[in-house]
Amino acid sequence: MGRGLASRAGCTDTGTKPERPVPLHPKISDWFAQRGWSPRAHQLAVLQATEAGRSALLIAPTGAGKTLAGFLPSLNALVEAPGEGIHTLYLSPLKALAVDVQRNLMRPIEDMALPIRVEARTGDTSAAKRQRQRRDPPQILLTTPEQLALLLSHEDAAAMFKGLKRIVLDELHALVTSKRGELLSLGLARLATLAPDLRITALSATVAQPDLLRDWIGGLVPGAGADLLVAEGGAAPELSILRSAVRVPWSGHSARYAIPELFEIIKGHRTTLLFVNTRSQAEMLFQELWAQNEEMLAIALHHGSLAVEQRRRVEAAMAEGRLKAVVCTSTLDLGIDWGDVDLVVQIGAPKGASRMLQRIGRANHRLDEPSRALFVPSNRFEVLECEAALEAVAQGAQDSEDPVSGGLDVLAQHILGSACAGPFDPIALFDEIRRAWPYRALTWEGFERVVDFVATGGYALRAYERYAKLKQTTDGRFRISNATIAQQYRLNVGTIIEEPMVKVRLVRGRGFTRGAVTGPIGRNGRVLGEMEEYFFTTLSKGDTFLFGSEIVAFEGMFENEAYVSRSTGKDPKIPSYMGGKFPLSTYLADGVRKLIADPSQWHLLPGQVEDWLAVQRDVSLLPQPDSLLVETFPRGERYYLVCYPFEGRLAHQTLGMLLTRRLERARAKPLGFVASDYSIAIWGLADMGALISSGRLSLDELFDEDMLGDDLEAWLDESALMRRTFRNCAIISGLIERRHPGQEKSGRQVTVSSDIIYDVLYQHEPDHILIEASRRDAARGLLDIARLGQMLARIRQHIVHMPLDRISPLAVPVLLDIGKEGVPGEARDSALMEAAEELMREAEGR
Amino acid sequence: MSLVASEPESAVAEAVIGFAAQRLVPLVSGALYWPQENALLVADLHLDKFGAYARRGSLLPPYDTAMTLKKLEADLKATGASEVIALGDSFHRDESHEHLIDADRLRLLALIGAAHWTWISGNHDRLAHGLGGICVPGLERGGLTLVHEPKRNGGGLVAGHLHPAAQIAINGRVTRRRCFVHDGETLVLPAYGAGTGAMNILSPVLAPYFQWDRLEVFMIGRDRVYPVSAKRLVRMGD
Repeated sequence: MGRGLASRAGCTDTGTKPERPVPLHPKISDWFAQRGWSPRAHQLAVLQATEAGRSALLIAPTGAGKTLAGFLPSLNALVEAPGEGIHTLYLSPLKALAVDVQRNLMRPIEDMALPIRVEARTGDTSAAKRQRQRRDPPQILLTTPEQLALLLSHEDAAAMFKGLKRIVLDELHALVTSKRGELLSLGLARLATLAPDLRITALSATVAQPDLLRDWIGGLVPGAGADLLVAEGGAAPELSILRSAVRVPWSGHSARYAIPELFEIIKGHRTTLLFVNTRSQAEMLFQELWAQNEEMLAIALHHGSLAVEQRRRVEAAMAEGRLKAVVCTSTLDLGIDWGDVDLVVQIGAPKGASRMLQRIGRANHRLDEPSRALFVPSNRFEVLECEAALEAVAQGAQDSEDPVSGGLDVLAQHILGSACAGPFDPIALFDEIRRAWPYRALTWEGFERVVDFVATGGYALRAYERYAKLKQTTDGRFRISNATIAQQYRLNVGTIIEEPMVKVRLVRGRGFTRGAVTGPIGRNGRVLGEMEEYFFTTLSKGDTFLFGSEIVAFEGMFENEAYVSRSTGKDPKIPSYMGGKFPLSTYLADGVRKLIADPSQWHLLPGQVEDWLAVQRDVSLLPQPDSLLVETFPRGERYYLVCYPFEGRLAHQTLGMLLTRRLERARAKPLGFVASDYSIAIWGLADMGALISSGRLSLDELFDEDMLGDDLEAWLDESALMRRTFRNCAIISGLIERRHPGQEKSGRQVTVSSDIIYDVLYQHEPDHILIEASRRDAARGLLDIARLGQMLARIRQHIVHMPLDRISPLAVPVLLDIGKEGVPGEARDSALMEAAEELMREAEGR
Repeated sequence: MSLVASEPESAVAEAVIGFAAQRLVPLVSGALYWPQENALLVADLHLDKFGAYARRGSLLPPYDTAMTLKKLEADLKATGASEVIALGDSFHRDESHEHLIDADRLRLLALIGAAHWTWISGNHDRLAHGLGGICVPGLERGGLTLVHEPKRNGGGLVAGHLHPAAQIAINGRVTRRRCFVHDGETLVLPAYGAGTGAMNILSPVLAPYFQWDRLEVFMIGRDRVYPVSAKRLVRMGD
């Protein structure tokens, strides 16, 4: 199929109407006419804007002929005078998209016999071809933000791009929410300097704040400005929630209960996409489906950890219509349309309305027919979340993430890249950088600080002037001090830092003898794929988990490979859910809160869920939208405190960590906590309910916003999260080199571990630019501090304590998660002490 | 909030390593204090490590040397040791002592003036230098053989070079710390330098150095050194 370039006949458009006749070249109008098609209003509107010397942001749903809209101005200009050099640069987040667009763009070009060359340039393009492309570029070049940064770091960049007229940015909404967007914006600002005539067409799915996206492209080219063009959506999607006859489980994420019903649904459609939120959920679901696949339906699995060849095979099979269903993760959120998908099933929490709309758009690319989607909640809270998502999608609510801005690590990378291309004038570069939306608020002092960081490391102790990477020339410009620096830069370009991955190799088991420490066991097994290294730090020998749709047992780590053996067990011991990347959106959280608090809406819910809430109302309280319910109860030999902020897993993990610290100081002897998207449970040895009721522990003080001050900083600076964000900042900013595959064969590492660098730097310069950047990233991403702060402010003086003598119905799901979810690791001396005491007992013969 | 910090409680006594008829005290810093000789043993200082990286284009924070020297000052003061024996790789490169920044050089010279120094050569710093003290390939003292690399030679061997760390898993949490480790014949100190990494003692690379059934491990905690049963050791993602 491919992403359709042209509209189909008879489709009218209710989008922006052009004010005057559009100068569409007759050759192109004829081409449309020959096919019985006519250009859509928004396609012409883009052309109109570009011809009027303006950039344009086109927001359109899938299937609206967005890609052609983006390229129409280029084709219209090139049809008569193709000229030499790059005319149009297309940038997309996926290299697969670049390749696919090339295929589709060639169709009208070949039909009209236009002398236009279209070429893709990605990481997969051969070195010879890449060199040729720089010497003799095509008129239309399709590439990625990283390749653009690379091209711009060469001395010939100015010559290569001086004739550039158009930029097409695809899936801009997906690019701007990460550091890739920051890097892209800086590259675009540079292009606008090299080619002041260029105009930008950005294509985006519907977003919460379209004005922000328009501004994002609007400031890049001085004097160009940008129009916001919105193509109205086609038919409204048809959504439903699976009403299972079976009981929806209390907790867990497997949706195992719905497997038989899913089979019936799959059989009733041509091709079904089954979206899940994490790789391990995909594994789990695929395994379950396969175990019950009596009719041998063609069902495949697609996620980011599978070997590339395997993914390509699945995509090809899909394109040929040979698959009935594909279980997939966000890897299929964007990009090419493989096959004739007529149903999207979302298994588990939808997390956000905008995300759901896009996933739903994967089904059926005809604008005039509704996309069809089905939500399958995997536990009871998810029933509520699905209900809220249904409502949100029906109302067209958007809760997409806003563009990120101000990453100093990305700026450092760009500044070094600029110097690699040739000496730069700091004032000119500063002005150019401020035209990039993410850096619109950059101050001169801030800029100077980053330049100093790039040049000398930016340390208070001026120890490295003699090793400076940038040197100032007599006319005040900055140049790189030697050519090796440019080579190093090119190896480290980009902002995507892969988690360290290890190969997973299947070997023959050896029965888990304890204490055996040396030598690998039969080395000749096949590689099943790759997995994040940190997953294995939580495993013990013999632990079973799902990988590549098989249950395997962990045998051990051997030279950067994880050895696993086939397991005969039926249930994997380690669920490895890992939460997924996306927290519950604020919008859906509000929806869930309102739904719970309003019994008049409960009739929308399945009976079992309605009963669950009703019992909660009877034995405890219902959480209200503007307060925080805190329940306490004893259970076993422990005391529990459960609260329900509904602010998403990331904010909850941060809150759990901070509350535990505070409870420890209040001598409530907390032992641990577990956080879900909806609630947090803390357990300990002291009766927290009694402490609160007697006034010895004040909930208002416990939940005081001041926890985001010193407590947060104290915890953050020593936490593993901070080390992770520091590592990313250090690599992106060029302080340490990226590890390339195959580089780590020897047991001893050549590079210094970023943890050690962090420790040294933090002790001496806790306000160093890189530590500031890491702190900011941690607060923004993994900790969700802003959201936690808003919640704490909202519930101030509105905390309701409900002492109970036993567990409440709402607390059941999160308590069931205890033991399944790893507590995010703070390595503590208590473990050492325990091990030492154990040794003492052994020594004393106890 | 008016909250009071609680004191950690523990019944574990101060760690002492009995090795080759000597009583040796492992310190939290990674140094080993030898009361009989009133000597401080340190391994793998790797002074100037980040500076050496900076000269090749990675501008790592220029503070590792100062941190290492500061720890040494504190250890000398706390133990009152009159002698320092550095077990090799004291400098990250042979030429490192020429590249120290002035403040670090002065600090180091003051330390060298405050105690009797013996520099055992390592694979990173084979050449002798003239900073003070004596430079030797190895040393025999009080029944112990002090060298850089722990090559087997029949017991009483005290060395560095391996940068050992131990990992244990308790209650699902993995804790990894630098450690002292010995098997009755060979005792290896952790790397002392602030810029140094560490390697899991269960790594196959370290296998040939020890008799595994007689392993004793002392992990460095925040405030004390903990003896840990070898049965507890794990190697995960490491």
